[in-house]
Amino acid sequence: MASTQTDDYQAPTSDKSFDAALSDEDFDTLFEQAEELSEYFREIGPEYDKKNTFAFPTIEKYKATDLLALSIPKKFGGHGGSLLQTSKVVSELSKGDSAITLAYNMHYIMVGIAGGLMSDEQNEYWLGRVVKNKEIMFGPFSEKRAGFSGLADMKAIPQEGGGWKIYGTKTWGTLCDAASIITTNATITDKDGNLPDTFEERVAAESFFIADFEFDKDTLQGDGFHVERTWDSLGMHATGTHTIVFDGFFVPESGFICEWRSGAFGVLEWASLMFASIYLGMQSRVLEESIKVLSKKTLGAVFGATVASDVKVSGVGHIIDGVGDMASRYEICRRTLYRTCEEVTLGLDDNWPMELRFPYIGLAKTFIAENVMEMTKHAMSMVGGMSFRRGMIFERLYRDSAASLFQPLNGDQGRTYIGEYLLAPEELED
Amino acid sequence: MSDENAFKDADEVYKYIGGMFETATKTPAFIEETQGGNLVILIKQTKPDAAILVDFPNQTVVTGDEALAGKSTVQLRMSSDNANKFWQGKLNFTLAMAQRKVKLDGKRSVALKLLPLTEGLFDSYKQTLKDDGREDLLVA
Repeated sequence: MASTQTDDYQAPTSDKSFDAALSDEDFDTLFEQAEELSEYFREIGPEYDKKNTFAFPTIEKYKATDLLALSIPKKFGGHGGSLLQTSKVVSELSKGDSAITLAYNMHYIMVGIAGGLMSDEQNEYWLGRVVKNKEIMFGPFSEKRAGFSGLADMKAIPQEGGGWKIYGTKTWGTLCDAASIITTNATITDKDGNLPDTFEERVAAESFFIADFEFDKDTLQGDGFHVERTWDSLGMHATGTHTIVFDGFFVPESGFICEWRSGAFGVLEWASLMFASIYLGMQSRVLEESIKVLSKKTLGAVFGATVASDVKVSGVGHIIDGVGDMASRYEICRRTLYRTCEEVTLGLDDNWPMELRFPYIGLAKTFIAENVMEMTKHAMSMVGGMSFRRGMIFERLYRDSAASLFQPLNGDQGRTYIGEYLLAPEELED
Repeated sequence: MSDENAFKDADEVYKYIGGMFETATKTPAFIEETQGGNLVILIKQTKPDAAILVDFPNQTVVTGDEALAGKSTVQLRMSSDNANKFWQGKLNFTLAMAQRKVKLDGKRSVALKLLPLTEGLFDSYKQTLKDDGREDLLVA
């Protein structure tokens, strides 16, 4: 049977970029900016949840901070923030407003993924633009047929003079309203637009690109693409996750980053762990709001599950246990996420079987996702019917937490990866 | 190519696949990426069985029992046919890992960073086969 640990334990090694790491002192300065921005998100979040649009005023506020370059290596002009430091900032912002932060989280995900795969020359140019011009990056990948696991049906058709024209539709364009740099995947075809015949060839031809992204916010038309404002969902309203239709969007040769699946393998922690950070921030907010309400709430005289002439809910057993349970869940989740960030940074993930790298990293996210949903549900139960009214923070967090079911990997996908590995035969299959 | 193994014995594996690793260890891009590190890959091949130990920091390649006796930081297992395909750019390494045609253990994060560099050696491998009159090993 396959093992869930490799046989030869490998001692941790320092991250290559350690020498250029962000110091605790410098991180504290950046974190203070995150706290201020989080407060702002908290103020305007409800308005944009209600409006069901991207929170446009946040763009300038975000750009006014030094947080765009947080995770960009120092050699490209950034602050050199680690996975863990970036995670802490994302969670802090999410405490303010989960939907707005889920949008800007896309920037950190793509800076991490693209930055890890681009050549030095590409990084100097594209990450340099983020640093110098405060430009925002995003990356739509999902298409109608499947999310991350589906090979791109979107086509990149080679052009005679070099480069490609992109055709197809991406359905989850989170942060498209604020970004000026797009990263995305498409499958390179022959000159007539035919996809490769075999599965192997399709895998090899699926490629990762980066390009300028600019469109008219009134007509929603860009050069070779347009945005369709399709986002209308249960929660996470302010992410502006719209559909992007590419119809001859030109990407020059310099915009080719790498073959997508090979490249993605080593950098997907930036997606999974940043999503986890969003939901950890939400857990913190649920706990904070629950304590705020439950520490003060008085029921007066009651005759029901509890019978008393005057009841303060903070003295009721299941409320006390419930708050303790929520705090425990938050703390275990925090440790899970922080430790996962550290293990990946230290290279300890080399001790996991290779096939389990992604699902094991994903465990932090799926564990936190399950807990944030349980916590929001439990908070509503403890706070009572008032929490169900539109505009109350609890119903908002309940709706937003449901989004945690979807970003890769979700719990079902993770368990499938792990179970499949354990049940697969040892021998090589040629 | 037929269903038979591409290489008739381990010596052929050492000549061609071992030879490619010899070239890789002396290639500037590989030297730059691996110098000062501890990347030593033990490649265990099947059909025919063969072992190659590639010490990138010291730029040495040893084979057979000497390879098996050495210490490695990364262990790579694959068939010799797939190794032949890989050096011709005809094996998608990530897909092969997902399909369990290739097994990689140990400190693989460093090893995986070398993958993009191998592309520059594919033509060299194919030319070596042609120069030796081994068109039978070329993969269409």
